Amino acid sequence: MTDDGRPALTMEAVGVRYPGGTVALDGVTLSLAPGEFTAVVGPSGCGKSTLLRLAAGLLKPTAGTVGRATERLGFVFQDSTLLPWRSVRRNVELAGELTGVPARERRDRAGEALRRVGLSHVADALPGTLSGGMRMRVSLARTLTGRPDLMLFDEPFGSVDEITRGRLGDDLQELFAADGFAGLLVTHSVAEAVYLSQRVLVMADRPGRLVGEVAVPLPYPRRPEVRFSPAFTELTSQVTALLQGGTADRIEVAA
Amino acid sequence: MTRVLTRQARRLAPPAAVAALVLAAWYFGSYVLIDADRRFLLPAPHEVVKVGFGDPANLAELLAALRLSAEVAVTGLVCAAVLGLALAILMSQARWVERSLYPYAVALQTVPVLALVPLLGFWFGFGFSSRVLTCVLIALFPIVANSLFGLRSVDPALHDLFTLHRAGRLTRLVKLQLPAALPAILTGLRISAGAAVIGAIVGDFFFQQGEPGLGQLIYVYPRRLQSEMLFAAVFLASAFGVIVFWLFGILARQATSWHSSQHRRPDTGGAPR
Ligand SMILES: Nc1ncnc2c1ncn2[C@@H]1O[C@H](COP(=O)(O)OP(=O)(O)O)[C@@H](O)[C@H]1O
Ligand SMILES: [Mg+2]
Repeated sequence: MTDDGRPALTMEAVGVRYPGGTVALDGVTLSLAPGEFTAVVGPSGCGKSTLLRLAAGLLKPTAGTVGRATERLGFVFQDSTLLPWRSVRRNVELAGELTGVPARERRDRAGEALRRVGLSHVADALPGTLSGGMRMRVSLARTLTGRPDLMLFDEPFGSVDEITRGRLGDDLQELFAADGFAGLLVTHSVAEAVYLSQRVLVMADRPGRLVGEVAVPLPYPRRPEVRFSPAFTELTSQVTALLQGGTADRIEVAA
Repeated sequence: MTRVLTRQARRLAPPAAVAALVLAAWYFGSYVLIDADRRFLLPAPHEVVKVGFGDPANLAELLAALRLSAEVAVTGLVCAAVLGLALAILMSQARWVERSLYPYAVALQTVPVLALVPLLGFWFGFGFSSRVLTCVLIALFPIVANSLFGLRSVDPALHDLFTLHRAGRLTRLVKLQLPAALPAILTGLRISAGAAVIGAIVGDFFFQQGEPGLGQLIYVYPRRLQSEMLFAAVFLASAFGVIVFWLFGILARQATSWHSSQHRRPDTGGAPR
């Protein structure tokens, strides 16, 4: 946890223009409080991945500034990005291996992370033998070993089926509740964004920019049934309206 | 157990049938198509075996030549593999290195190396070292091209993962690029192995001096009308090539069992994609 109350992540009038001339982001300003879980939705190609790469420091902005209060960040990619020649356990250990965590502690942390995502029983398997959902969990476990203060998710459940996707979302909620990291989740599912986050940022394309946000005041833990509540439906329709070019004003909704 | 045997038999039956047909055609050609006084053009299979492998002196001559050619091929292959992989790693580290060196690697591939044999003999003598050099020149390109391709084709998301954890060049190379490139490197090695065998035997054929390998025997036997020995030498050379290629195929499958495409992709004989 970042204790000093500084935002976990800030962006000030950030712009990204790729060498080809594409303006992927223009004038993006946002701030993420410590322990706050924010979702980003937008049409494909609007610059969501670019936004996350900026947040992770994988990319430098061509305009504006990006600030992070912590170096402990986790990035969950769209694919599980596991090394296929390493066992599940050794994949989970990789993060600590690269950052110089001593072998013993690395092993302990990997064991614990695997237990948390419910995959201790496949620790010695190769990733190629697991299902897509399990591979995503391994990827999540690898990120957890770094004890992140800020977690970035780039459409993390995009490649798994609907049911697994729901389960992974609930697992994520549990981890978030236990660890209290700040989260920035990119997704193309409006329902998923509302279900998981405290705030949904809506993006538009050409050029990629923020066009509005919707606060989600539903209390955690959220159970799957909440998706059928009137408040939930109201929130998703607001996000959808923003996506379709409706009002760009900030909209507050009482729970 | 018997079921496994039946399956094996079923798998081996078709190629065995083809082999039987070829042998039958061979005997037909040898005894029916060709007159007895011209039979040296196609001696019958059992004559080849009797003269080439049944006679101890002949067999010793053939095996000594095979050993020499194998030594040349293996030494050449090892040198080509080490040098080629080192070059590929260097090129993978910086574009300017690749831009400076790769054109010459390609040029090497287009130069008829065998035409250089007299020159190599001139400079380095007609012994072991210039034979090995011929092999290296022939076997170098496939290993360089395939390794570089493998090192370069690592999933960008995996590179991001390593960047995120501030991995250095060496860590990235050892823990990511080399293991990811292993299937491609082994494919290159397999093609290079085939090339090294050809380099050893055909190079020897062109050298025509020094201790004789299989190539020189293949050169002199027809001139002495020892056609059974010629066939035996050609058979040994072919078997040598096939066995090397087959060994590297097994090695590739063993070393990259994690690589799922190894199970699904049809065996392309190791051709680069
Ligand atoms: N490395 C790159 N070079 C040039 N253009 C890029 C690059 N990466 C992304 N783009 C372009 O920038 C825009 C935003 O891309 P991206 O951030 O991946 O969008 P999203 O994740 O929302 O689908 C797209 O038009 C894409 O084509
Ligand atoms: Mg994207």
